[in-house]
Amino acid sequence: MPVTSEVSTDDNTVTIKISGRFDFAVQNEFRDCYYNAKPGENTRFIINMSGANYMDSSALGMLLMMREYLGGNAADISIINCSPDIKNILTVANFQSLFKME
Amino acid sequence: MGSSAKLNNQPANTSLSVLVADDDIPNRLVLQALLERQGYHVIQADDGIQAVEMFKRERPDLVLMDITMPHMDGYEATRRIKAMSEDTFVPVIFLTATSDREGLAKCVESGGDDFLTKPYNRVLLQARIDALMRIRDLYSTVQDQRNELANHQKRLDRERQLAKRLFSNIIETSSLDLPYVQSMLSPMSLFSGDILLAAPKPSGGLHVLLGDFTGHGLAAAIGALPVSSVFYGMTTKGYSIAEIVTEINRKLKKILPTDMFLAACIIDINPGSHTLSVWNGGIPSVIIYGEAEQEIIRVLPSRHLPLGIANEESFNRRVEILEMRQNDRIYMYSDGLTEATNPDGVMFGNQRLEGLFIRNRDSSELFNEIRREIIRYQAGGAQQDDMTMIELRYDQQQLEDTVFHDKTQAKLLESQASAWSFSMELSADLLTYFDPLPLLIQAVCDMQSFRGQRQQLYTVFSELFSNALDHGILNLDSTMKRNADGFAKYYMEREARLSNLREGSIKIFVAHEPNEEGGLLTIRVEDSGEGFDFRKKQLALENNVGHSGRGIQLLDTICEKVEFKGNGNIVEATYRWH
Repeated sequence: MPVTSEVSTDDNTVTIKISGRFDFAVQNEFRDCYYNAKPGENTRFIINMSGANYMDSSALGMLLMMREYLGGNAADISIINCSPDIKNILTVANFQSLFKME
Repeated sequence: MGSSAKLNNQPANTSLSVLVADDDIPNRLVLQALLERQGYHVIQADDGIQAVEMFKRERPDLVLMDITMPHMDGYEATRRIKAMSEDTFVPVIFLTATSDREGLAKCVESGGDDFLTKPYNRVLLQARIDALMRIRDLYSTVQDQRNELANHQKRLDRERQLAKRLFSNIIETSSLDLPYVQSMLSPMSLFSGDILLAAPKPSGGLHVLLGDFTGHGLAAAIGALPVSSVFYGMTTKGYSIAEIVTEINRKLKKILPTDMFLAACIIDINPGSHTLSVWNGGIPSVIIYGEAEQEIIRVLPSRHLPLGIANEESFNRRVEILEMRQNDRIYMYSDGLTEATNPDGVMFGNQRLEGLFIRNRDSSELFNEIRREIIRYQAGGAQQDDMTMIELRYDQQQLEDTVFHDKTQAKLLESQASAWSFSMELSADLLTYFDPLPLLIQAVCDMQSFRGQRQQLYTVFSELFSNALDHGILNLDSTMKRNADGFAKYYMEREARLSNLREGSIKIFVAHEPNEEGGLLTIRVEDSGEGFDFRKKQLALENNVGHSGRGIQLLDTICEKVEFKGNGNIVEATYRWH
């Protein structure tokens, strides 16, 4: 499974794990992860990129969709464990101004 | 299959007709009776020739064909019937007395779909017919779907062609045919998600926009239409890239869905001030290759979100400004270039690209070397992304000569010269966010055609205005611009002081007086600043050029007369046109 999500109920966090190619082919799975999470007011979202080896601009678009769905500026989304290539794509697009990057 | 025949005796097959071809009348009658009891409509033929005739006229759904008949045998008749019905599946069942292999092979060879041996068994006959009808239904469903698909494809192709024409009409630009510009734009599909636009400015110099839409194809290309119209429209009217990029962002934010945006880099090459201004949102770093150093001397990374994401309040229009020297080269490219893969799926990457800059021995060949190397690297592998690259060589003279041709201007040529004047006052508050030059020039040129001298006029207005603003109001010292460091500092300082401006104003007065050859335009710009000792300054200018005062010197060459008045806070220029 290229995209999986797990919800931890105790600290109100949803972790979405991406493996392989992060592109348009996984858009439905990716969307379902946060659609199905039924987030509350303070739900934290973490996108774990440790297994991702590729990401294209449509994935950037998918991240924007997610951010909008979760309330735009109010959304709490972190992107973690990026490979250097993926980090580069995210920083060239200046996504660090929209998402927490670690 | 909804219309398949049923195995019971109900007359469910009335809509289906069966052609029975047999020279043996009793045989035919037996079949007719059997078939009619099943609800089929039966038509009959005595021989092969008649069978073909009947088929042509009645177009039955099924044919039962005897082999041995006078005039034309069943094989030949079947061949002809099959040839007549290439688009539909008409099952032909051979009626045979024997089941010898050779005969059966011939049945299949001539196009028969099944065979039935005498004597006929009602259940067997019905089963065979049912089976073939199911195949026929399947065949026609597939056929319908194929036609539907083909029609879709055709319509899609037509739409694509149309949109492509529309698209290339809009983004087509002759500006890329400039002697100091080399570019490549290789679309992945019929449409590219990349756009490359260039337009000369009314004041001389060039604006260039390199953009990369999310995704590819039609959806991406559609977004290019508003981008190019804003880019060309505003550049032509003299707006700055900060204003253009703000407007493009506003438009795209409004029209594009959330997951679509335009990574873009827009630059302004200004031969008047030897500067390059860059706004980069989401495009790989712009590379500056120094002619003197023969190496990369500066990279300008992406500093902003791509266009179409930020709302108006949070949009950042800040540009970076740096000094340009003769023959320095500017490189812009989309990420498709470094993400090009070799047949093993390994990306070209930034290091290989930098390597090409390092290894280069002849800067005029640099662009070609990069292009060749990328193509060689991909060698047969499929191009994955759109790949766009542009090289601009800073050639001051050629940049200044890049003239803008305004079509509406030509129409105005016939209009009569007339006398008019107007004045305006810009308060500090207004100056902090409003650049009056584009509107001013537009207004002046709308009132009076200046026969293609718009570019010069623009220079006059902008020099007078920036002199009043930079030195009169903001008290900036132009000697700061003496070196590259100070250059950047100057513009940073200018921005800082401008945004904190609370007091001061600029008055602009423009008057036109026609004469036989053309007319005399007077432009007076007065700032609320303290002024300066212009007599001493003028003397200094006459003796030694220096870094500062270039603007006023430029004015002197364009205008008939440039005069300082008041305390030096008023400058009046007289421009003669014909």
